[in-house]
Amino acid sequence: MAETATSWAPRSAWAGVVQAGQIGVAGAAGVTATLLDGFGLATLIAAPGGTLALSQLVESRIGITLPTTPKIVPGASHDAIWSGPDQWLLRASTREGFGSLLEALSAQAAVSDQSDARAAMRLTGPRVRDILAKGVMLDLHPSTFVVGDTALTSIAHIGVHLWRLADGPDGSVFEIMVARSMVGSFWSWFAASAAEFGCQVSIDRSTGRG
Amino acid sequence: MSTQPFRLASGGLIDRGQQLDFSFDGTSYRGYAGDTLASALLANGVRLVGRSFKYHRPRGVLTAGPEEPNALVELRSGARREPNTRATVVELFGGLTAASQNRWPSLAFDLLSINGLVSPALVAGFYYKTFMWPASFWEKLYEPLIRRAAGLGRAAGAEDPDHYEKAFAFCDLLVIGGGPAGLAAALAAGRSGARVILCDEDFRLGGRLLAEKREIDGKPASEWLAATLAELESLPEVRIMPRTTVFGLYDHGIFGAVERVADHLPQPPAHQPRQRGWRIHAKRAILASGALERPIVFAGNDRPGVMLAGAVRSYVNRHGVLPGRETVLFTAGDDGWRTARDIAAAGGKVAAIVDSRPADPARKALADKLGARLFASGAVMGARGGRQLSGVTIRDASGAMSELSCDLLAVSNGWNPTLHLTSHQNGKPAWDDGLQCFVPGTVPAGLAVAGSAAGRFTLAQALEDGATLGNEAAVEAGLAARPAEPTPTTDPETNGLSPVWRVSGGKGKAFVDYQNDVTDKDVELAAREGFRPVEHLKRYTTLGMATDQGKTSNLSGLAIMAEQTAKTIPQTGTTTFRPPYTPVAIGALAGHHRGRGFRPIRLAPTHDWSKEQGAVFVEAGPWLRAQYYPKPGETDWLTTVNREVKAVRASVGLCDVSTLGKIDIQGADAAEFLERVYINGWKALPVGKARYGLMLREDGFVMDDGTTSRLGETHFLMTTTTANAGKVMQHLEFCHQVLWPELDVRMVSVSEQWAQVAIAGPKARETLRDVIDPEYDISNEAFPYLAARPVTVGGGIPARLFRISFSGELAYELAVPADYGDAMVRALMQAGAPFGITPYGTEALGVMRIEKGHVAGNELNGQTTARDLGLGRMMSSKKDFVGRLMAGRQALVEQDRPSFVGFKPVDPSQRLRAGAHFIGIGKPGVMENDEGYMTSVAYSPHLNHWMGLGLIRGGANRIGERVRAYDPVRNGDVVVEICSPVFVDPEGARLHG
Amino acid sequence: MRITCPHCGARDAQEFSYLGAADLQRPEGMAASEAAMADYVYQRDNPAGLHRELWYHGAGCHAWLVVTRDTRNHAITAVEPAKTRKAGAAA
Repeated sequence: MAETATSWAPRSAWAGVVQAGQIGVAGAAGVTATLLDGFGLATLIAAPGGTLALSQLVESRIGITLPTTPKIVPGASHDAIWSGPDQWLLRASTREGFGSLLEALSAQAAVSDQSDARAAMRLTGPRVRDILAKGVMLDLHPSTFVVGDTALTSIAHIGVHLWRLADGPDGSVFEIMVARSMVGSFWSWFAASAAEFGCQVSIDRSTGRG
Repeated sequence: MSTQPFRLASGGLIDRGQQLDFSFDGTSYRGYAGDTLASALLANGVRLVGRSFKYHRPRGVLTAGPEEPNALVELRSGARREPNTRATVVELFGGLTAASQNRWPSLAFDLLSINGLVSPALVAGFYYKTFMWPASFWEKLYEPLIRRAAGLGRAAGAEDPDHYEKAFAFCDLLVIGGGPAGLAAALAAGRSGARVILCDEDFRLGGRLLAEKREIDGKPASEWLAATLAELESLPEVRIMPRTTVFGLYDHGIFGAVERVADHLPQPPAHQPRQRGWRIHAKRAILASGALERPIVFAGNDRPGVMLAGAVRSYVNRHGVLPGRETVLFTAGDDGWRTARDIAAAGGKVAAIVDSRPADPARKALADKLGARLFASGAVMGARGGRQLSGVTIRDASGAMSELSCDLLAVSNGWNPTLHLTSHQNGKPAWDDGLQCFVPGTVPAGLAVAGSAAGRFTLAQALEDGATLGNEAAVEAGLAARPAEPTPTTDPETNGLSPVWRVSGGKGKAFVDYQNDVTDKDVELAAREGFRPVEHLKRYTTLGMATDQGKTSNLSGLAIMAEQTAKTIPQTGTTTFRPPYTPVAIGALAGHHRGRGFRPIRLAPTHDWSKEQGAVFVEAGPWLRAQYYPKPGETDWLTTVNREVKAVRASVGLCDVSTLGKIDIQGADAAEFLERVYINGWKALPVGKARYGLMLREDGFVMDDGTTSRLGETHFLMTTTTANAGKVMQHLEFCHQVLWPELDVRMVSVSEQWAQVAIAGPKARETLRDVIDPEYDISNEAFPYLAARPVTVGGGIPARLFRISFSGELAYELAVPADYGDAMVRALMQAGAPFGITPYGTEALGVMRIEKGHVAGNELNGQTTARDLGLGRMMSSKKDFVGRLMAGRQALVEQDRPSFVGFKPVDPSQRLRAGAHFIGIGKPGVMENDEGYMTSVAYSPHLNHWMGLGLIRGGANRIGERVRAYDPVRNGDVVVEICSPVFVDPEGARLHG
Repeated sequence: MRITCPHCGARDAQEFSYLGAADLQRPEGMAASEAAMADYVYQRDNPAGLHRELWYHGAGCHAWLVVTRDTRNHAITAVEPAKTRKAGAAA
């Protein structure tokens, strides 16, 4: 009913779990965590033998190529993230127009909207690798896990998808995505692991909703 | 406060400017930063630190390292109390409290020391022989008695207040041990740019260099040490980890290590863990763990004041403590002489040197210089003293006995390489006859052994091995080879040795294994009674089985057994070691995974709303689900659940079902794929419809069930049970990738994307009408039972509506993107308010499905077939599917196989219990009369009595018969009548309303 | 243990689930015999040495892999995706 429409407010996966502010030791934070919200996300799976056709379609629509190894290919408005053989996550910075893009891509792919399925977080700061080393069973050394590398792996028995997005003034920028239902347990691990270095938590509301 | 009477006036690597007060058994003492608890106790003249395991004999400090068998104490108090900590490795901190163990009523006066007098009852095998019969005595009498008499420290008995964590590291080279060999290795590899991790269990790096007076390149070794550490710290890819014990080597180059982050502090600083358990992945590793000194077995060798000679040097040179006023040295080699020399240099008195080897002019001259009597070809026959050593009996070359008084007996018998990690991957140590010790034999790939750990005992060899192997590791890790640098030179050293395994003929007990109170007589007894193989020896005598795992005792035990059986040591056996090298706290292995963090918990998008409603939650697989929603005034769960069930059947209720597994299945062959994994047909299912499906394992038993909807010609949405979601996904991936990769089927879990709520009850449609956008017709005609179609809510939010029912009522499931889950449930509550909409939890859900005879997890228990559950007719005979052939096996289709029916108590006031077994009335409750069991029970507020579902032989053919529901564990014995499993609305009229 | 997933790279064994022998052929179709299926479901060799076996990279890319492992020392000599060949073990 029209009069109830105003109450249909979306609720972030992080809501009720995390608040902005400093956690752990006070003072200069060893890491900054930015909670991401409002992005669009979908699984694309190519048909058998259809990877090239899908890749061409994606490129024609949003100008990025689909990686065939565990990489993230970032674009102006969309990122393509490898998530298995012939399978990708497509991330849009906004949900506006995402539905129609997915509609178009479904010509060449099995498309499943996952926009609400993951909680995502961006991490940067001098101690980011020290925190990740408490859960990630992978070598994240700068020379081994280079910019653009991604991994589907687990932290504290929780499945995660993480990548080294870029290198910035505060060092490497990592992003981590975790299943929405697990975000409370994930944060429990993260907060305990980050506490000794101090962590500044902020919430990025810059991305809009469609 | 004491004056530290045994502290030297100067010297040592302690910070005399930093005094630390601590207490032991309630008495206050003072030590310095840089002390261990053992060195501080010795400085204060505390000799007696514990009582032995079986005989309660007074014991003192034997060693200065992790191998310590005697000086075990309870450290800290309250919830942080930790038993069996070795005083020799406990880093002293201000405010430390420690207590001795295994004494009653006090350390100095221990009533149970009479165990020593009744010791014949406590010899090898005493458990097996003495306490064998009758068996019932064991639990009530023997075990409590033994536990009081023999034992170690007490656990805290309270929850550990500290935090622990895990961490993972990767490197080109792991160097285990920070002595001269390890430092040289780390330096060589580090200089070439390799990623190096250097771990040392001590709080200070340097290994034996800290305990010895040595020279490197013509200067005190401390200068080389300082320069090396400074350079290592300057290398960005070298990580130095003190206070870190590498305790195990596992498959594929993975090492376990524990970092004692805050054990040296009264309590961890805020936000710091107490300990951190590391898993280190190393391309190469160098074991530079040094060596452990060996005691000699002679009568009274456990008197407080008998100490290993190398340990004495540690206390003198590192800690500035001279642990005795008058020293006798009993040595089998050159190394012991260093102790005499260093004691004399520190101003101590060496009364006598007993060297087991024949007379030698050089040694005579040195003894004269030290002012010590020399007994060549001599032996210490016995040590005297109660709580403290008072003197020794020495036999000289002629066999004559001398009595000497002394308060410190330093014992030197050579060293055993600390090769433990080399045998963690099935490596076998090898006996070196020249060195008279075991050295690494077969060594795991990727591991190299340097210095003393390899039996290369001189400082020069340690430095040379480290540099060579460190360079090799760097090259193997792919770094450029570097030109060889000259190995540092050292002051000369000799290592002559003729080991003495034991001195026979003395009076009193001679200990092989101090911690487990195993004597040479116990080993002889084992030999006489035929327990000769080393594994038998160990189990019969408990030699090597204590917390120190025989670090000071294994070789002596072997040697005595060899002597008894006229064999050589290598013929007798080898010592193999398993992880952990030293004890590891469970907390360090568990890390974050304790208490609420034991395993990840999944929460539904409506969780916070349910919490607001006061829901009680229950674990369902990995999820927390609302179990019921008590209202004020409801004092027991059954009242609440009855209200919830009645509200649904009378009007409308809602229940979160987001936890069900949801798998998006697309592709040209999606329908064909479902045909193969489900027992029933799917190709004819129209778009926009849902169907119940059942899948089997290949062995014919039921795996899971759920509804699957056809969203498009080549697009299905499968739901699974909450508990099996992951397992089903894995199974489907198996079927696709392994069995039928030629099919075009593409699957992904969308469980997390959708929040889903069941709306059930006669007013369900009216409630939904206000929530679904008006352009969608959801009338019974337009949206009949099993319709499954996309709709929108809230003015255009994409949603999915399914008309499916678990409760038997008119019911729907509405799914929205998870961000809108919270809004959806609030909108439904608002829309249903005029009908008194009632949230219900898994209990009410369970009651209603039992009332309807629907199977659930209790019935899909891995032991039931589709036929057992009354679903045999679903099995298509026109197609092959997983489990088809095995489900048809004779034993699975026999007529009297227990099958699914309902049960009701003949006396309606009686309660039923799941798990009860069915027994014929009048028959005894024994296995032979077992006819099946009750799988699920609930109280039906509509029938006003308990009802049950279960499996019974003959099943549906026995409707109306009565049997016993027999439950001896809970004293249950109820006469029940077999009935249809559908208790409410058997015609299904409500469903289609 | 570490297993090198051909898609994801070297990973801890904790990320994988083990199933068993890889080179079994499911008897397909309505003509398959119960005896052949029983063999497929239950009969297994237990070699001391090289063993081709199925592992599922559940915490990673969800690929089923054929891992060649020496059962005596866990040395892994080959890992390949199961999807590229037509053979399978019972679920």
